[in-house]
Amino acid sequence: MRLRSVIRWEFLRTIQSKQFLIISLLIPAVLAIAIFAATSADKAAQQSLREPPPPFVVALILAMILFMGAFLSGVMTLYSVVKEKQGRVVELVLSSISAQEMMAGKVIGLGIAGLIQVAVWVVAAYFVASRFTPISLAALGPVHWITYPLYFVLGFMLIASIYAATGAVMKDVQSGGASGLVGLVPYVPIMFSAFIIENPNHVLVRIAGFIPPFTPSVMLLRVGIGAAAAWEIALSLVSLTVGVLLTMRFAARIFEIGLLMYGKAPSVRELWRWGRMRHAR
Amino acid sequence: MDHAALRVQGIVKDFDGLRAVDRVSLEVNRGEILGFLGPNGAGKTTSIRIILGIFQPDEGEISIRIDGLTGRLLKERTGYLPEERGLYSDATVLDALVYFAELKGLRRADARERVLRWLGRFDLVPWANKKVEKLSKGMQQKVQFIAAVAHEPDLLVLDEPFSGLDPLHQDLLKDVIRELRDAGTAVLLSAHQMNQVEELCDRVFLIHRGRQVFYGTLDEIKSRDGEHVVRLRFEGSAESLAALPGVENLAVRGDRASLRLGRGASPDAFVRSLPAALTVRELSVTRPPLHDIFVRAIEKENHEAA
Repeated sequence: MRLRSVIRWEFLRTIQSKQFLIISLLIPAVLAIAIFAATSADKAAQQSLREPPPPFVVALILAMILFMGAFLSGVMTLYSVVKEKQGRVVELVLSSISAQEMMAGKVIGLGIAGLIQVAVWVVAAYFVASRFTPISLAALGPVHWITYPLYFVLGFMLIASIYAATGAVMKDVQSGGASGLVGLVPYVPIMFSAFIIENPNHVLVRIAGFIPPFTPSVMLLRVGIGAAAAWEIALSLVSLTVGVLLTMRFAARIFEIGLLMYGKAPSVRELWRWGRMRHAR
Repeated sequence: MDHAALRVQGIVKDFDGLRAVDRVSLEVNRGEILGFLGPNGAGKTTSIRIILGIFQPDEGEISIRIDGLTGRLLKERTGYLPEERGLYSDATVLDALVYFAELKGLRRADARERVLRWLGRFDLVPWANKKVEKLSKGMQQKVQFIAAVAHEPDLLVLDEPFSGLDPLHQDLLKDVIRELRDAGTAVLLSAHQMNQVEELCDRVFLIHRGRQVFYGTLDEIKSRDGEHVVRLRFEGSAESLAALPGVENLAVRGDRASLRLGRGASPDAFVRSLPAALTVRELSVTRPPLHDIFVRAIEKENHEAA
């Protein structure tokens, strides 16, 4: 009941903000114009677009959209936490609900907003792309329809909780520090996407698919190429779910302790200690 | 019969080896205002945060009694005005207040109705749909107060409620706090203005360096040292006052004098012994104001610690 109020509040505040509207609408518009300009000038590009794109391209684009969306939604969560901390709203909120509820409300509320944003981009990308190239939804099998949303939602929650905890230990939005780098871990596979696409069954790639922070991007690519076995998909979803729950628990502890601290940012060792503590200080 | 709405038993809290709160025990009764006093950094805010369940104590227990049932703290039944003011500055007054009331478990429609009633009480209705950041400091203070009381809490914790308010609004706030007390709310009031505390509180708790310095009714505290403060305006010479029994710290300035009557010196005996050469224009003999008691108690503690 209270959690629902928090989710509703965070969601409405987010989608009503100017930044959200600008990011939702402006980015796809700019991308569409850029693609249009690039392809209309280049005859070779036009020629290649007549063929349907290979499945890895679609998978890669979806993985990029997922991470763009999760990153923006994570950053919005971080800003929102830091702002409430600076504006001293936190204390009043925590006299009504627990830190876990506050974090869950933010992660879910902003996550829904972020997923809507992603949905807008995906639909826009589909319509823009379908004008240039014979792309078809029929190319997506039931495996994609079932697993993609799961990887998206779980990936969002993983990243958003990392960012929420990061926001809680930040003094202000200017001071990122080492803790901000933790939020970049899930993006590492994107840097190796060329390798993953060429060697989707390499033993390292297969193992990375089961390591929660890497799971969403690695598995989106492997599933997109059609390289992932059913048991691998199932196991990756289980390990990702467990990973999300553990990350949220750990992040919630840090969130709880960090929220009411206004001193210097804690060290990584301190964070590790906080994350395993039973009670807030 | 047990009237305690809040019972705090031996709470302890350490921060990095420093003891911020050291075995604090207190009770706040239904229909009572307990003054929670102490110098800056004494452990007041930490204690309050523990009482409200924002921090967990390292030791000790908090229990709250509502409708005859004792139990663990229910955040829905408490209201809090924090010392550091904070509201969603980019939200409208009404939205922010309704949201905070919802967090206390009220339904939206109910929350809205109660918030509007309180906004009316504080002449803030025309501001209901303005953003919080557009309001003056005093108005924000009133909005913050509404956030603490709109859900009709059983336990109300007010940390510096009068700061930033003009005398008119201080009076309004005092009236409201008294009304809430009379309706049965247990109020824990932390304030630095000792005259306000004296006016409002039935009992006070003084904390210093995380520990209790004294805890009791205003009457007990004022009578504890058995001293009195005398102020007078006079004509003639006041020097002879110094010779009267029990007189300490005589200070004369123009036609005004102030002095302290030490322990055991009766005000009655003092008044009867006033010299005939002195024409009294104004005279007051009172037990020491809370302000003096506070200052002397803290100075004594600091002296003993040094």
